Amino acid sequence: MSSSPTGVTISREPAEGHVGGELLTVNFGPQHPSTHGVLRLVVILDGEVIRGVRPVIGYLHTGIEKQMEALRWQQGVVVTDRHDYLSPLHNNLAYAMAVERLVGVEPPPRAQALRVIMCELTRISSHCLWLGTSSLELGAMSMFMYCLRERETVLAMNEEISGYRMHTSYIRPGGVMADATERFWDMLADFVEKMPGHVDEYEDLLTNNPIWKRRTVGIGYLSAEDAVRLGASGPMVRGSGLPWDLRKTMPYSGYEKYDFEIAVEEAGDCYARYLCRIKEFRESVRILKQAMASIPDGPINVDERKMLPPPREELETSMEAVIHHFKLFTEGYSVPSGDVYAAVESPRGEHGCYVVSDGTHKPRRVKFRSASFVNLQALEHMAMGSMIADMIAIIGTADTVLGDVDR
Amino acid sequence: MTKAKSRAATSHKHVEEEGVSAGDRWIRVSREHLVATLRALQAEGYKSLLFMSAVDHLATPVRPSPPERFELIYQLRNLDTREELRVRVWVPEDDPVAPTASEIYAPAGWDERETWDMFGIRFDGHKDLVRILMPEDWEGHPLRRDFPVGGETVDFSEDHEVWQTAPEEA
Amino acid sequence: MGIDALAETLGDNVLTTTIGKIVGWGRANSVWPAQFGLACCAIEMMHTAGPGFDIGRFGSEAMRASPRQSDLMIVAGRVSQKMAPVLRQIYDQMPEPKWVISMGACASTGGIFNNYAILQGVDKVVPVDVYVPGCPPRPEDLLNALMILQERIKAQGIKPRV
Repeated sequence: MSSSPTGVTISREPAEGHVGGELLTVNFGPQHPSTHGVLRLVVILDGEVIRGVRPVIGYLHTGIEKQMEALRWQQGVVVTDRHDYLSPLHNNLAYAMAVERLVGVEPPPRAQALRVIMCELTRISSHCLWLGTSSLELGAMSMFMYCLRERETVLAMNEEISGYRMHTSYIRPGGVMADATERFWDMLADFVEKMPGHVDEYEDLLTNNPIWKRRTVGIGYLSAEDAVRLGASGPMVRGSGLPWDLRKTMPYSGYEKYDFEIAVEEAGDCYARYLCRIKEFRESVRILKQAMASIPDGPINVDERKMLPPPREELETSMEAVIHHFKLFTEGYSVPSGDVYAAVESPRGEHGCYVVSDGTHKPRRVKFRSASFVNLQALEHMAMGSMIADMIAIIGTADTVLGDVDR
Repeated sequence: MTKAKSRAATSHKHVEEEGVSAGDRWIRVSREHLVATLRALQAEGYKSLLFMSAVDHLATPVRPSPPERFELIYQLRNLDTREELRVRVWVPEDDPVAPTASEIYAPAGWDERETWDMFGIRFDGHKDLVRILMPEDWEGHPLRRDFPVGGETVDFSEDHEVWQTAPEEA
Repeated sequence: MGIDALAETLGDNVLTTTIGKIVGWGRANSVWPAQFGLACCAIEMMHTAGPGFDIGRFGSEAMRASPRQSDLMIVAGRVSQKMAPVLRQIYDQMPEPKWVISMGACASTGGIFNNYAILQGVDKVVPVDVYVPGCPPRPEDLLNALMILQERIKAQGIKPRV
C-alpha cells in the first residue's frame, strides 16, 4: 500500500478479477471538457477497468454561503441564481420559500402559478442543455444543436418576463418580480405547442439509436436501495425505479393542483436516467399547459410593505410608501429568529435551502443542500468495475453541475 | 406549507429538548448520545439524511450568550411517512469534536468533510477527514463567523468595512 | 520569360501585401478557443457556439479540448483560489501567439463575489486582452469581444507581443 499526495491509496495486491499488472492512477480534469465543468477525478485503473474513483471538488468554490451572510435578505436572491447556474429559478424558489416560511407569509395564488411556470421552463432548459452536452460527449454532435435551439427559446422567454436571459432573480421572497406580459403568454403558447414535437425529434435521434444504446444500456447501474442509501435524488433515484419527486410527494407552490406523473424507469442504468429526463420534458409541458390555462388573477406579491417595495404610483402620493421604500433599500427587513428547511425538486434532484435567522436584517447561516453534491458521492459506486470510457456516460447522466457541487 | 406533524421519534429517551421552528420539527440531543439517537431514528424509518451541517452561534449584541458556539444540524426524512426531523447537537468552541455519522448515513461522509473544512469541527471515526472545498494548504475555516468575508476593498461602499472584517466586529 | 512579360501575364491576378498583414489576416480569422468553461458564462459560451449565434461565422467554431491546439483562452466564469494555479498552467500550455478573453464580471473583477474564495480578476494570473462585462454576458457580447480581438490580431501582424 502506498499513499499519494491526493490521499488516494493504491493497492498493489491483486484485486478480485484482476486483469494483471499494476494498478494505474490517472488524473482526470479539472479542465477536461467532458466533466461538465471543473470536476477532477483521480481514477485508479486496472487496464481499462475502473477500480477506484475519487472526486476532487472545490475548483469552483465560490463562497456563496459566506457571501449570503454578508448580504441582506432581499439581496441574497441574486447570489442564489449563480449557485446552480442551470436551474436559477429553482434556487430562487427554495430560498424564497424558506424566507417566507420564517416570516410567515404565503405568496398569492397568481405568484405561485407564475413560479410553477418559470420553474418548469427552467427544468426544460436545464434538461435541454444536459441532453445536448451529454450526447455530444458520447458522439451525437447534432443533438447539441437541436437542444440549444429549444433552450434559446426558453431563454428568450426568461428575457421577456424578467429582462435577463439566465440569472433572472425572478422569484423573490414575497412573490415574483413582475407579471407576465402579453407577449410572454404568446411565446409560451407557441412553445408548449411545439415542444412535444421537438422531444419526439430528440427521441428519433437517440432512443433507438444503436450507438447511443451501446453506450448507455447497462452502464452505471444504481439499485434503488443504493440510491436511497447514498442519498441520491432526482432522475438518479427515479431512474432506479423509486417514484420520489418532491413535486408530487411533498408538494409545494401549488404543485398539487396540477395533473402530472412522476417519471420513473426501472432499469437503474444510464439509459434509464436518459428516458426519465425525456419523460420529464413531456410532463413539464403538461404542467405548463395546465398552469397557463388555469392561472388565477390577482396580485403577484404579498401585501407586506416591510418585505417588498411599494408600487411606483404610491411613491408619488404616500409619505408612508416613501418611508417604507427608503427603509427597505437602506436597511432591509429583519426576519424573526428561527431556522427552516425548504426543498424543491430541481432538475437535478432535491435542492434545499436551510436558513437560520437571528432576528436581524442579514441571515445568520444559509446552507444549500445541493442535489449534485450528494449525487456525485454515488459516482464511485456507479463507476466501479466499468470501463474508463463509460465514465463519460456515467458523469453525463448523473448531470452534476459543479457550481452546485462546490457552492 | 406546514409540516408540523408531531408523532413518533420524540419518544426517544435521549431527547433533551424538542420544538417546532417555522413548521419544522426538531429535537436536541447531547454529543454523547448522537450516534445512538441517529441509529434509533434510522431504525424507526428515517432512512434519508438530507444534509448535515453546522451553525456558528458566535455571540452577537442581538443574541449575547448562546449555550455553546457551534451547533450541528442533521436533517432527516422518513420516505414512507414523509416526515422530516431535525437533530441538533451543541458543540463547544474549545473542544470542536463530534462523533461521525458517516457509518450510519453514507451522505454524511462528504458533509462532514465540508463541515471540517468550513467550521473546523472534527469528526471522530471519519475515515477520510480532509479538506473538500478549499485548497489543502488553506488556513482557517471560512464559514466561522470570525473569519472575514474577504475579497477587496470597495471604495464608497457602505458595506466595505463589514466585508473586510468578521461580521460580528463591524 | 522576362520579368516584364511575367508581370504582364499575371496582370491583375496578383495582390501585394506585407507578411505582417497576411499573417495577421490569417490568424485573426482562425482563432481557435480552448474549450475551457468554468461556471455560468460557459453556458453562454456554448450558446455562442450553438445554432442561434454561430461563432463559426467568425472562424472560431473549432473549440479545442487541448490547450496545446488553441490560440484563445476564454475565461468563462469565476476563478476560485483553488482553480487559479490550474488556469495558469493551462495558459502556459498554450502555444504562442495566444490571447485571453475575460468573459463576465466574475472573471474580470470578481463580480458580485467579493470574498475569500474567488480571485478578484483573472488578470492577476494571466494577461487579458479583452474584458467582457455582464453576468453572464450575452452571446452577442462575446462575439463583439471576439471581433475586437480580431482587429487587434490583425494590427499586431508578426510583431511579437509586448
